[in-house]
Amino acid sequence: MPVKLILRNKEYEVKAGMTLLDALKKSNIVPESVIATRDGEMITEDEILKDGEVIKLIAVISGGLG
Amino acid sequence: MKCKKCGGKASVNMRQHKLALCKEHYLEWIPEQTERFIKKYHMFTRDEKILVAVSGGKDSLALWDILTRLGYEADGLYLGLGIDGGIEYSHESQRLSQKFADEHNLKLHVMDVEGEYGYSIPVLSEISHRGHGKPCAVCGLAKRHEMNRIARDLGYDVLATGHNLDDEAAVLFGNTLNWSSEYLLRQGPVLPAADGLVRKVKPLCRFYEREMTAYALARGIEYMYEECPFAEGSQQIFYKETLNQLESVRPGAKLTFYIKFLEAKQRGDLFIETNIERAHLHPCSRCGQPTSAPELCSFCRMIEKAKVTTG
Repeated sequence: MPVKLILRNKEYEVKAGMTLLDALKKSNIVPESVIATRDGEMITEDEILKDGEVIKLIAVISGGLG
Repeated sequence: MKCKKCGGKASVNMRQHKLALCKEHYLEWIPEQTERFIKKYHMFTRDEKILVAVSGGKDSLALWDILTRLGYEADGLYLGLGIDGGIEYSHESQRLSQKFADEHNLKLHVMDVEGEYGYSIPVLSEISHRGHGKPCAVCGLAKRHEMNRIARDLGYDVLATGHNLDDEAAVLFGNTLNWSSEYLLRQGPVLPAADGLVRKVKPLCRFYEREMTAYALARGIEYMYEECPFAEGSQQIFYKETLNQLESVRPGAKLTFYIKFLEAKQRGDLFIETNIERAHLHPCSRCGQPTSAPELCSFCRMIEKAKVTTG
């Protein structure tokens, strides 16, 4: 089963067994622009993604003039 | 990846520092570093009264949280901008700011721009024809003016904002692309108090936006995740994305860009001499806040124009 990455309203599918960093790159997501969470806990980019899991990505960029 | 402090499983990896930390040690590290920056840039002392500009977003709520954890006397200020955008943006931002204040037993001042001046930010933008159809320029102007006014009126020593390194690097990037020497001259972690201007400080200016998001998540702070409806396609976001592309290839690029700028500025390397005269400010004839315009400041001119237009 593929791994699902969810960022805002978009979903991306990648193969299990790759690292989070590779999965982000493969999905054309700039790693610096997101925080990845698994079951609500933050994970680092070397984490190996497991069969069928869902990784929620939190966008970090906010706009406006602060 | 393992936590550098305890060897446990890391939650956050900061490639620019070659530092990975677990959640517990990350939540210790952020306030320690904030305290270090407060002292390094002489932002404020424990005897001073701090007003934190709170928007309901991750950065300002994280800043308020950190300052409170560090034991500083910090109240909040929320400005109601009257932005709806189909998601009740301002309403929801205020709710989250008030929720944070109530949960932490903190004082939040609330000021509604429409209540005070008769126009919301989007309406003011439309009437004043500023900002090429987007209210961001009017919003920035009104926030700077009102935050300064309220901080002075309420007797605060210093106004603290949640600008992070990505905010600062994006501004620096834009000003460098345009060689806006006056703006470059004024940018920094501290804008000292001057006639009519309260001291402004940015205690989070050396943290990446990603780090502040991680802090808010780790602390369980409920913040406004939705983007401002007017932010889409903004130049600032484009600059941030561009810098993040660079950062992905060259970890630490954003930090170096900003820190080396501050160092060069401090050494006087940035064509400062000729700009000091041009950056001269004097009081607005109506509100008394500093302006480089001959009589009324930009904000008062905008309000004046709005009144003339609407009769």
